[in-house]
Amino acid sequence: MNILEVRNIQKRFGSKTVLDGVSFCVPQSCVFGFIGRNGAGKTTTMKAILGLIKTDAGEIDVCGERVTYGKKLQSGSIGFLPDVPEFYGYMNAMEYLTLCGEITGMSGKALKNRIDELLELVGLEKENHRIKGYSRGMKQRLGIAQALINRPKLLICDEPTSALDPVGRKEILDILSAAREQTSVLFSTHILSDVERICDHVAFLEGGKTAFSGSTREIHELKGDSDIELVLASPADLNQVAERFTDSKLSDGRLILPKASDKKCSELLRFLSENDIPLIRLERIQADVEQLFLEVVGR
Amino acid sequence: MNGIVPFFKKEICEMIRTKRLMVLGIVFTLLGIMAPWLAKLTPKMYEMLSDDLDQQGVIIKDVKVTALDSWLNFEKNLPMALIIMLIIFCSIFTNEYSKGTLIPLITKGLSRTGMVLAKVTVMMLTWTAGLWLCFGITCFYTDFYWDNSTVSGIAFSTFCWWLFGVFMICTETFFSSFASSSAQVLAGTGAVYFILMLAGAYKKLSELLPVRLTDSTSLYKSSLSKSDYFTAIIITAALSVVLILSALIKTGKRSI
Repeated sequence: MNILEVRNIQKRFGSKTVLDGVSFCVPQSCVFGFIGRNGAGKTTTMKAILGLIKTDAGEIDVCGERVTYGKKLQSGSIGFLPDVPEFYGYMNAMEYLTLCGEITGMSGKALKNRIDELLELVGLEKENHRIKGYSRGMKQRLGIAQALINRPKLLICDEPTSALDPVGRKEILDILSAAREQTSVLFSTHILSDVERICDHVAFLEGGKTAFSGSTREIHELKGDSDIELVLASPADLNQVAERFTDSKLSDGRLILPKASDKKCSELLRFLSENDIPLIRLERIQADVEQLFLEVVGR
Repeated sequence: MNGIVPFFKKEICEMIRTKRLMVLGIVFTLLGIMAPWLAKLTPKMYEMLSDDLDQQGVIIKDVKVTALDSWLNFEKNLPMALIIMLIIFCSIFTNEYSKGTLIPLITKGLSRTGMVLAKVTVMMLTWTAGLWLCFGITCFYTDFYWDNSTVSGIAFSTFCWWLFGVFMICTETFFSSFASSSAQVLAGTGAVYFILMLAGAYKKLSELLPVRLTDSTSLYKSSLSKSDYFTAIIITAALSVVLILSALIKTGKRSI
């Protein structure tokens, strides 16, 4: 079952078309990477999913319920973490989460237990200070806690790692990865290594359209035959191999066989064996998110 | 109006922790004390100035201060209290919009109507408590030094001022529903006040406008009766309701 279905949404701001047919689906219990360059329309798409802005065309369903601008979903099924979360600086984490919980209709012991659970998940259980003294990373962690307070079926995070140092990024990615057990996560980013680290599904947004949407496994399949990289004990042998495989390229003491089929790989191994060429490394280079993204954006 | 109660509690917490409540408490208390004390000090001030005034040919004898002087001072102090309060509250909505602090709460189900009404309630409660605190202090000291019964309509005139304050709060809420900065809110609210004052100079119109409610002197001196204010009271109350309803509609459509 899909938690989120976005179908052909369009949005214009004045004469500028920001979204021009964005479509993708987020399955249950997955971490979904929403990838695009700065200004690609990621935040606009997310705000449309949250019902915070009005779309010009298209449909959005969350848990089977249609999203309407300005109206709260009956199921209350979305948690949201803005890119730069801002809180009431005069409150502490416990007070802020109590406010969020009470707004969602929680109260009493159930709310207190949930807050304790979340503060432990995000590592803020010992923080009694007011939020105005928090670092950016602490605010992001509190942002995740508030977004998860009412156990939403979908957690939307807008570039949660873009402004953090490597340690802060790792912490947030670990928390999001752990949150997968409770909810589906949709997070936008332009940091592709973050996507490869935790996502099992991705969508690329380019020119206001969804250029690709699918699982990370599909990315590898989509790339088809990948390159083979060969490193030999003697660099002189590389020339011999290059003469035999004319479409190969030599670079930095390595030989690259582009888009090599399994048959070509067997031929290469046979050639090396027949000519007693000592081998250091033979590796099939897996297609990654970055390669596909660069192909999609035409770079 | 989902979430109105927790959001109202948050507003109270904000009033206390950002020290807005303390500042307004001090302002209303000081203005309440100043009205009778200035009246009480007036003869002494004239006495101190009498030598200078004598040289200029002005002779002052037996300056007599009454309860009326204290209440006239009270009336003159109220615009100051109202303006300070409106300045303090001018960013109550726009700060939330510009910082994005409402987004997490609205995505959790806080209704926009509930949010606006919680904020308006806190502003009105502050104005009500502050004004009547100011009134109570002036009332006590004036009665202590003179006799309040010699001045007519002190409670009714304060009620009129309260209603005028409520109208100004509704005006500020209306401008907050579409303005993008606190300066715009303050400029809009100030412009309404200024236009009302100008229009009030035309006597026939002034009987109908909210500014009529700020004319306490005529009540103290019994030159006008309570019934002369009823039309302005009804119009002001109706305008306040219209402003709040417009603010609710505008806020509902606002992109957050």
